[in-house]
Amino acid sequence: MIQLQKIAKWYVNGGNKSYILRDIHLKILQGEFVSIMGPSGSGKSTLLNIIGMLDEPSEGLYFFDEQPVHQLKERQRNELFKKSIGVVFQAYNLIDELTVAENIETPLLYQQVKTSERKALVADMLDRFQIVGKKDLFPNQLSGGQQQLVGIARALIAKPTLLLADEPTGNLNSKQGEEIMKLFKQLNEDGVTIIQVTHSEKNAEYGSRVIELLDGQIVG
Amino acid sequence: MFRNYLKIALRNLNGNRVYSAINIGGIAFSVAAFIFILQYVGFEQSVNQFHKNLPDIYRLLGEEKGEYSDYTNAPLGPTLKNNFPEVKAFCRIMEPNTAKGIVSAQTTGTAPALFRENKMIYADGSFFDVFTFPLIAGANRLGLPQNVAISAAAAKKYFNKANPVGQTLVLVNQFGERPYTVCAVYQDMPAQSDLQADLVFSLQTLANPANLNGNEGWASLDGWDSSFLQAFLLLKNGVNSQNFEQKMNAQFRKLRPQATFSLALQPLRYLHLAAALDARMPVTGRLAFVYLMGGIAMLILLIAGLNYINLSTASSLKRAKEVGVRKVVGATRSQLISQFLLESFLLNGIGFVLALGLVALLQKPFNLLMEKDLSLLKLLSNPILSLGLLFLFVGMASSGAYVSRALSAFPTIETLKGALGKSSKGILLRKTLVVFQFTISVALIIATLTLYRQLSYMQTKDLGMNMEQMLVIKGPELGVDSVRKKGIQAFQDEFARFSFVKNYSQSGTVPGNFYNYQAAGITRLNPQPGEDKKQYAVAYIDDHYFDTYGIKLASGMNFTPAISAQGSNSAKVILNESAAIKLGFADPKAAIGQKILNGAEIEVIGVVKDYHHQSLQSLIDPTLFLPANSGAYFSLRLSGEQMPQQVAILERLFKKYFVGNPFEYFFADENYNKLYRIEQQNSQLFLIAATLAIVISCLGLFGLATFSVEQKTKEIGIRKVLGASVGQIVTLLSKDFIVLVLIALVIASPIAWWVMNRWLQDFAYRIDLGWPIFAAAGVLAVCIALFTVSFLALRAALSNPIKALRQE
Repeated sequence: MIQLQKIAKWYVNGGNKSYILRDIHLKILQGEFVSIMGPSGSGKSTLLNIIGMLDEPSEGLYFFDEQPVHQLKERQRNELFKKSIGVVFQAYNLIDELTVAENIETPLLYQQVKTSERKALVADMLDRFQIVGKKDLFPNQLSGGQQQLVGIARALIAKPTLLLADEPTGNLNSKQGEEIMKLFKQLNEDGVTIIQVTHSEKNAEYGSRVIELLDGQIVG
Repeated sequence: MFRNYLKIALRNLNGNRVYSAINIGGIAFSVAAFIFILQYVGFEQSVNQFHKNLPDIYRLLGEEKGEYSDYTNAPLGPTLKNNFPEVKAFCRIMEPNTAKGIVSAQTTGTAPALFRENKMIYADGSFFDVFTFPLIAGANRLGLPQNVAISAAAAKKYFNKANPVGQTLVLVNQFGERPYTVCAVYQDMPAQSDLQADLVFSLQTLANPANLNGNEGWASLDGWDSSFLQAFLLLKNGVNSQNFEQKMNAQFRKLRPQATFSLALQPLRYLHLAAALDARMPVTGRLAFVYLMGGIAMLILLIAGLNYINLSTASSLKRAKEVGVRKVVGATRSQLISQFLLESFLLNGIGFVLALGLVALLQKPFNLLMEKDLSLLKLLSNPILSLGLLFLFVGMASSGAYVSRALSAFPTIETLKGALGKSSKGILLRKTLVVFQFTISVALIIATLTLYRQLSYMQTKDLGMNMEQMLVIKGPELGVDSVRKKGIQAFQDEFARFSFVKNYSQSGTVPGNFYNYQAAGITRLNPQPGEDKKQYAVAYIDDHYFDTYGIKLASGMNFTPAISAQGSNSAKVILNESAAIKLGFADPKAAIGQKILNGAEIEVIGVVKDYHHQSLQSLIDPTLFLPANSGAYFSLRLSGEQMPQQVAILERLFKKYFVGNPFEYFFADENYNKLYRIEQQNSQLFLIAATLAIVISCLGLFGLATFSVEQKTKEIGIRKVLGASVGQIVTLLSKDFIVLVLIALVIASPIAWWVMNRWLQDFAYRIDLGWPIFAAAGVLAVCIALFTVSFLALRAALSNPIKALRQE
């Protein structure tokens, strides 16, 4: 599903290149549940962002479902991203001015889905995550765990094949975190490919494979 | 999707109420100002444009050495018509100033309705053919003597509901007392007409020398030596006016070889507003002022547009996260742009609607200020509306587009990490905008201060005379001469005995009004060549005039009652200092006892100190005071208590001696202040514009301050943890903004100095444009800016530093 070849990312700082990622070769298959681990500053998030097409590598090749992402125009990349990838953040990143239901609905707005269908999909999602009662509340009226549930629901509503999560439990207590990870496990079993960045060994155990990063390079 | 956008836009507006109110308020006020100015400019442009023959109507001017005169010899019109097939018709008009008089309606049975008319003219029979003033009753017989056409309003005034056609109106003016038959009634002349007359008398009446009342010297219709009429030509369709002008002049030189002037044609189209700023033909409007107002409108709109950009992007940190999230869930840039455009239209739309409300609310005061009857409805039928709306919408759309592009351009990852706002690009842009806004504001403040100072200078300067509590009564004009003369004396003798009349005088003119006349040809006995070309003003006064107005004698003596009574037979004259110098006397004393030529020899018996008979805009005119008990004006200085009762007593007395004459009075100082009406109007307009500009600029400054405080949250937190006081923090935050205002002051000052200096050149007596005005403008701007910023700075300085640091 994902194939990275010789991916590097650097910034020019005072005439010197400072590498964030270097010489990354990586292959991830459909249905995997991968955890990216490593100390702070090792390049985990950058790698996740590149996979999520939110950031571009300085060099190297990136194939997503056999398509050369590094050669796609912005519009094509946006299309591919919209239909294939969902993203979950550590800080949830919900839109404060929209209700729970409206936040979940947002991705569909950008995919030309009809109103009736949108309503049905959002209702399904609310049902599935048992937050029907909260649908008209605004994000600041929810607990962290509930907000993250909304974030995941939003990431999943467009039925992506790949779910990216950047420390999804980082802002949650252990009980909430465990529930989220169980949910991820369940999603993975339902066929969604998941890549998560995490600091926690315990969370990594939910995955099928761990990638260790150190100073921008894969060490294991 | 649209509904989602609308929802979030409304929630955003509602969520940031202060910001929304400031932004919408800024838009509403500036758009309202823009609409008002559009009304005014639109009106000015439409003046005189309604005549059906507009492209073919020209005013005939005399041109001598680049100076144009709109008065031409009376026989020119008929002569041109007889000699040139191109001239379809001519129409000569005697202006209200020359024509004015008292009109009474002779309706049977009732006391005659009697009015002093200033809105009346004499015109040729072609008047209603050349100009478009539709008749609603009767027939145009203006070509025949002793006919009059009246407006619908005048018909109602004089005859109420009776049929006016065929009735008689009696006119008393300098051409004597004469009856006229009402031949037609026309629709009231529209406000967009420079010609404003309620009564149009047939000029043909004056063709009969018997009807000139001794004025045949200058007012004869076949006299080539005087110019007292304006002449309009209606050319045949398609005649090229420039070619015709040449042809006409060639013929004119043959016909009148002795003429010192040539003829020129002024299109009626450009009679109100000139064709160009440097055009020298006499006009009735003020093109420069129209341009100035237009410029101010654009500036205000520009400031508001920049403000909108400034405020909208200032809150961008808040919106950045939303932008990032939307991008992450799949929004394209163009989808984001359309979302923000919608928001922009919403904001501008609300602002626009509020502006319409403001216009409706403030229309009355504005009309009062402009002395015009303007309205939104009238604007609707004006072609300038589409231009203005186009400008408005292009402005709104482009500012909206800029904001949308700026907001949607945030890089996704940085926004989501909250790492945005470290760049200095946005700050620089904002600072530039604020400097620009404040430059305009400061320039307007300087202009306003200058206007007000000049105005107060003119109103408080020692005029060399005293008009306090001076009541002026217009003298009688109706009645048999000999009876009236006796009445004048008796009237004066009687009111002179009232204890509340401290001083009194009768004269042919009063300060603030024009002289009796201006003339050349007044010289010493042995004039140098060219001396006879010098112009002098002439005023008829009695022996009380100087005492009554507190005008001081510089040398020699005042008129005696005997001299006043003798009038011109006394062959005596008093000069003002300027006249003594201009006549060639070394000093006022040297003139005493000398004879000068004014037709006949007259003796200078006194010289008075110069005083301002006219506005301070012009230098004091060299003036000859001739003795006369003219009775045109009675000036009475009242004791100042119970003035209404005193006026009532005087009115009864006046009515007793001058039966049938209207009792009309005014106070000399109020009358004099009317000379500064335009300056007063200008300074009020500038005050409004400057206030608006500074308010809107402060909104921009507020936006910048919001942004800057947000950016410096961490710095403030650290400084406070390190022990900085509230005062130090406020100084830190305010300092930058004061620098911006000072930069604006530096840019604005030379521009304002240059413009206002040029404006002041129009005044013979003017203030110095010294540094205090600039300093005052600077201090004012800085104070207003400080006030605006200090609120935010104080709030930031008082906030808990730990919170600020944790946030980062």
